[in-house]
Amino acid sequence: MPALETSIVLKALAAAALLAAAGCQSSSPEPQQMARTTLQTAPADLQLLCANAVATQTGAASDKVLPVNSRQLDATSFQVELDAAGKRHSCVVDNDGNVKSVT
Amino acid sequence: MAGINRRRLLFGATLLSAFGLSTVASVADTEIYDAKTRKWVKYDRATARKMFARNGQPPEAFRMQMVKFRTAEKPGTIIIDGNQHFLYLVQPGHQAIRYGIGVGREGFGWAGIVRVGRTAEWPTWTPPAEMVARDPNAAKWAGGQPGGPDNPLGARALYLYEGDRDTIYRIHGTPEPWTIGLDVSSGCIRMNNDDIVDLHSRINVGAKVIVLMQGAALYKGV
Repeated sequence: MPALETSIVLKALAAAALLAAAGCQSSSPEPQQMARTTLQTAPADLQLLCANAVATQTGAASDKVLPVNSRQLDATSFQVELDAAGKRHSCVVDNDGNVKSVT
Repeated sequence: MAGINRRRLLFGATLLSAFGLSTVASVADTEIYDAKTRKWVKYDRATARKMFARNGQPPEAFRMQMVKFRTAEKPGTIIIDGNQHFLYLVQPGHQAIRYGIGVGREGFGWAGIVRVGRTAEWPTWTPPAEMVARDPNAAKWAGGQPGGPDNPLGARALYLYEGDRDTIYRIHGTPEPWTIGLDVSSGCIRMNNDDIVDLHSRINVGAKVIVLMQGAALYKGV
């Protein structure tokens, strides 16, 4: 029985090591996300979704609306500031691309 | 034309520098994840040179790859994220081809909406008057440097226009591939030669180009 217990303990330790290794691997960023800046701007596609929302809601031409600033609000959303032919607007968009508000 | 012209933009940038006010874009540091040490490391000129010498190519994040990209912009549109050092070419199905880029150094970043006015293969480089005045290396090519592997524009150039006017900015290749991911240029967008050749083969003259760069001057009054 001691041999069996030792075997079980060893297997448990091996499994724990595997899980730990898997945990480490999963904490590494995906290859395409292995670069970042300290600015933490909104992803470009989310900024442009806000630009599209501002153009739609204000009637401004889409080639006159440009995101000029953005910041992360919390774990799931970003605030984007936009210039629409000289007029400033603000937009909140979440990670899934849902525009929450435009002002 | 309601837009800011390049001279005004550069003048504004010079004023900012003179008073010690750098743009937000210039304050940001780029970081690269080092898979060996599992740590984020600052990605500056020294690190970039060292990593390129070791790997013979830019870090993985700055290599050409297909990524998810949710946008209402039509396929063929070029989106430049100057802060993150990425250029996206919009594809159908909410995807984009992403390339790594080098962008304008402190005071030379800009943002705006322009278009590809024309393109060239192995283009001649003619430095603008402002660059000739401040840079002795550029001055010797005031009459134009023929295209070739040592030419700063690299293998291809996409000339960016505002309406029918040349902005003087280009998306181009480079003989210095280790500079991808850095803020190094005088406002042009630089790419590896292989990447600019690929991009050039995929775009049409007239393609819309959206340049995002937080804290930078607007090229045009959009």
